[in-house]
Amino acid sequence: MLVVDNLYAGYGKSEVLVGTSLTVKQGTVVGLIGPNGAGKTTTMRAISGELKPTKGTVMLDSKPVQGLDASRIARLGLAHSPEGRRVFGPLSVEDNLLLGAYHRLPRFFGFRSRAAAELERVYDLFPRLMERRRQSAGTLSGGEQQMLAIGRALMAQPKIMLLDEPSMGLAPVVVDEVFSIISRLKESGITLLLVEQSASRAFEVADYAYVMERGRVVMEGKPAVLQQDARMVAAYLG
Amino acid sequence: MNGSVIAQLVVSGSLMGLVYALIAYGFQLTYATSKSINFGQGELVMVSAFICLTMTNLGISYWFMVPLGLMCGALLGLFVERAGVRLALEQKNEGWILLTIIIGLFFFSAAENIWGRDDRPFPTPISSEALQVAGIRITPLELSVALGVFAIMGIIELFKRKTLLGKAFEAVAADRDAAELMGISATKTIMLSYSLSGVVAAVAGLLVSPITTVGPTMASALVLKAFSVAVVAGLDSGFGVVLIGLFLGSLESLTSYYVGSGWREAPGLILLILALAVRPTGVFGKIPIKKV
Amino acid sequence: MIKRLFLICGAEALLALLMASIPMAVNNTFVLGLLTLLTIYAILLIGLGITVGYLGQINLAQAAFLGLGAYSAALGVTTFGCGMLPALMIATAVGCLFGGVLAFPALRLEGPQFALSTLSFMALTATTLNEWESLTGGAQGMSVPRPPIFGLMLNAKGFYWLCLILLGLVWVAMRNLLSSQWGRAFEALRDSPIATDAMGIGTHRHKAAAFILGSGIGGLAGGLYAFNFQFLQPQIFIYDLMVILLLGVVLGGRKSLWGAFVGAAIVVLLPNLLSNRLLFQIFSGTGFVFALIAGARGLLAKSTRPFQALAPVVAMGLLVFGGMFVDNTEDWRKAIFALMLFSVVVGLPDGLMGFAARLLTRLFRIIPAPFPAASDLESVLVCRQPTSEPILSVRELTRHFGGVRAVDGISLSVRSGSVHGLIGPNGSGKSTLVNVISGLYAPNSGEMLLHGVPLPRGSLFQVARRGIARTFQNLQIFTELSTLDNVMVAMKGIIRSPLPLVLLGLTGKSERRVQADGLALLELVGLADQSRIPAKDLPHGAQRFLEIARALARRPQLLILDEPAAGLAHPDVIKLLGIIRRIRQCGITILLIEHHMEVVSDLCDIVTVLDGGRIIAEGRPEEIKRHPKVIEAYLGARHVQSAGEPVAAAPELMPV
Repeated sequence: MLVVDNLYAGYGKSEVLVGTSLTVKQGTVVGLIGPNGAGKTTTMRAISGELKPTKGTVMLDSKPVQGLDASRIARLGLAHSPEGRRVFGPLSVEDNLLLGAYHRLPRFFGFRSRAAAELERVYDLFPRLMERRRQSAGTLSGGEQQMLAIGRALMAQPKIMLLDEPSMGLAPVVVDEVFSIISRLKESGITLLLVEQSASRAFEVADYAYVMERGRVVMEGKPAVLQQDARMVAAYLG
Repeated sequence: MNGSVIAQLVVSGSLMGLVYALIAYGFQLTYATSKSINFGQGELVMVSAFICLTMTNLGISYWFMVPLGLMCGALLGLFVERAGVRLALEQKNEGWILLTIIIGLFFFSAAENIWGRDDRPFPTPISSEALQVAGIRITPLELSVALGVFAIMGIIELFKRKTLLGKAFEAVAADRDAAELMGISATKTIMLSYSLSGVVAAVAGLLVSPITTVGPTMASALVLKAFSVAVVAGLDSGFGVVLIGLFLGSLESLTSYYVGSGWREAPGLILLILALAVRPTGVFGKIPIKKV
Repeated sequence: MIKRLFLICGAEALLALLMASIPMAVNNTFVLGLLTLLTIYAILLIGLGITVGYLGQINLAQAAFLGLGAYSAALGVTTFGCGMLPALMIATAVGCLFGGVLAFPALRLEGPQFALSTLSFMALTATTLNEWESLTGGAQGMSVPRPPIFGLMLNAKGFYWLCLILLGLVWVAMRNLLSSQWGRAFEALRDSPIATDAMGIGTHRHKAAAFILGSGIGGLAGGLYAFNFQFLQPQIFIYDLMVILLLGVVLGGRKSLWGAFVGAAIVVLLPNLLSNRLLFQIFSGTGFVFALIAGARGLLAKSTRPFQALAPVVAMGLLVFGGMFVDNTEDWRKAIFALMLFSVVVGLPDGLMGFAARLLTRLFRIIPAPFPAASDLESVLVCRQPTSEPILSVRELTRHFGGVRAVDGISLSVRSGSVHGLIGPNGSGKSTLVNVISGLYAPNSGEMLLHGVPLPRGSLFQVARRGIARTFQNLQIFTELSTLDNVMVAMKGIIRSPLPLVLLGLTGKSERRVQADGLALLELVGLADQSRIPAKDLPHGAQRFLEIARALARRPQLLILDEPAAGLAHPDVIKLLGIIRRIRQCGITILLIEHHMEVVSDLCDIVTVLDGGRIIAEGRPEEIKRHPKVIEAYLGARHVQSAGEPVAAAPELMPV
């Protein structure tokens, strides 16, 4: 579904990614882990087009997408739920969700009815969002905002979803909740690339994982294998 | 002081105030999506008024000319975005301030030379014979200004709240990058906001020209007060510009009656500088969170 | 050294000599009038260049200051019978005064709002000048006799020389000012207003100072303007003049005294150029060819965007093409200005002098002046004996953003002389906490005490003045300044130079001391050999070290390091450890936010762990590593059972 090959990207003069490669197969959950500043988020941004890669290829559904605008890549079926959640604060919860499906809804009228089924599915998954659907997103708690961000990405019915640090800034109880939802999504067959700082969290849900360090992938494998690897310690010491 | 004189002054002043509010609303539209405004908005008002006048002189009927005029406004807005704003936004600098001033200057000079420097009357089918309502004189023409302002602002606000495209507009205003990730093209949204802003300018031109006559300098005073209204109200509150516009308009007509007509500009400008001293983000504006 | 002096000062002296001698060679009132106007505009544009060039703000009020200066000088002569010099002083003072009145509200704004408020100020001034007929004569205008200077009546030539002398004085004073601590501060606050505040340089008051200075110079130019034309009308000082002034600054080049002069020359000569068809065609043709070549080169080298290359060509083409069809180029004056300005703003953002300066530095390699030897580090850092008293204590601090409680009732106390670690998962509130302490955010509730005295709330600047210095997780270096200048900026509040001495250029000694101290700090962080490089060209790691050196330049009692190791390669982390130890030896207390466990356990005396905006544990590093709540926060509740086995838990603890 997603093949990233030898990707280079950075901000201004400093290069953050120096040849990242990874693959996400259809229907799998892939974890991307590594210490702070290793380039995980930058990888996500370079894939989704928020940041233009300077070199390398990104193939989405066997079509090259590197260098396209983020909005174009999103329309091709990639949903990126960014680090820090980035919900549209002034808009209501429901508007946030509807915008998640922006590219496949009519622009002027009748979009609500076209999105009704999807909306219901998301509300099923996150009953709390249903309760607060008229509230503006900025007033939600951190955990609720994270759920909204995931729900918003789901609304796009993406071929693949990129989820960046869903546990960031959340209390452990809430993180448990978020990860149980990710497990449920996994059962429903979602294709997901998950960035997570806590390796054990990522290993809970991932079918396969990549470990990044200083802008490149240094290890990969099945979580069960990686967990035993002594080199993990080294990677995390960065 | 006579109560009915004051009431009369307040009513006619607020009608002009609504025009300021409308032009200020044009600033808000573009500010929302791109954090930029067209400093040459007054020239857009003036040029679209001239184009409408030319169309009328060519024998096109008023009601057919209106939509054409609005389209010209939209095109002018798009031109400003392309030539003056986009590059600076891409480079993340404030060159657009200078460039929109420059484009305005160009329009001004072109209008001066193409249509001449004199003020010309603008024909309108709406009567300017005064009606007496509760002791206050008001003409249908003035009423049409109020109606027109509320109609266009209402339509755009409805569009923003009720259509998905409008919500996308607000999403870009709230978080441009996140909106891109939803498949919303920020560039197109900004283009849309500039063309809407151009339409608003054209509407303002159509509404005021029968009252002020059409000439190259017709909008320079208007736009100055619209700036005041926009900054005093804050660049993100549509409701705020109407209130402040009404307030400023009445204040102005009272000043010009009681102090002297030459001073009519002063309250707006003083209000602006005062408001900035007290609340830099505007009376109705939001205070941004600094980030590091 | 000699070559450098010769090239820079020589060019200035040559220009002054040339300007002074023209009226002796050419005896023509028209030329003399142009030259006088040129000097007046050059003064005016130097003033405008301070706000537009150094502060990077579009200032539309300079025409108003010219007008205010002109009228107040005129009134000084007509009403109070002042001489030339007192009248000019009044003009300058009035410019400063109104500059101050406008600066304090307006400079809290950025970008468009600032431009709008200056525009409104200009309109207000024009209205007042027009309407206050008893004072200004209103639209009829007022005539101004040229007063004597030291009892001497000046003829046109004498007045020109006076203007030239004043231009020289303004020029030299500005050069001294802009190459001093003040100039560095002005440049720094455009790059990062947050960092200037955090370095104890009040961003707002420095902006205001720069603006007042620019307005005062504008007022002076106004006074000269009044005595040059000897007749004033309010209509002169309006929008049109402002556009011409912007044209001058932008065309000439920002941040350059030469640019102001070149801009003034163009502004003065342009109207004459437009009235002569042949000259106009030559001029526009040259511009077109220039735009064409520059555009083509830019496109081929892919250094510019297509729009940036093509738009000036189209604009200049329109100028050439339009010029052939238009009957009277004078009528289209504004459109011509607009097209030229447009081409320059888009195609040559640095202006003509910016372009020329790049060309000249390539032709003549000027060796910069050598630096003094670095000071002794101990004397720079001012070592203190730790007292083991709490230096900073924080009680029940909270800060929310919307529904998110980023800091939720934190109490903390930092012992003097210690290295206090602050760790926690991403988003646990570490950064928000130090942002509240250092004054970037005001707390919603709670109290903060430094040495038992409450800290100012929500003011980076005032907190910095109390002896707290900080670095930033997302770097806030002054990108346009050199490495050494970055450090020197921070010393502005520490080693002070009085403004009059700065203007006279008499601060060489303290300037060298600042340089020496700055070099010592750069040596500490290992950047001494890169002191001349623009900070934006340093690699990421070096920029982090630069921020530490800059914070130390404040001679802080408490140093807050916000993730200094983020994004550092391993050798740099080792280097960082060495630097922090060295700082600590000097008795400077450090509050260290960190993710790298390695750094924390190596350095910290005590560690506080945050999660979800609250403190979940506090203690010595080795205790913290075993603390069940910490393990839970990082790993989730299900892993608590396995936490007893250090080996299994170790890899998962590391991302701390």
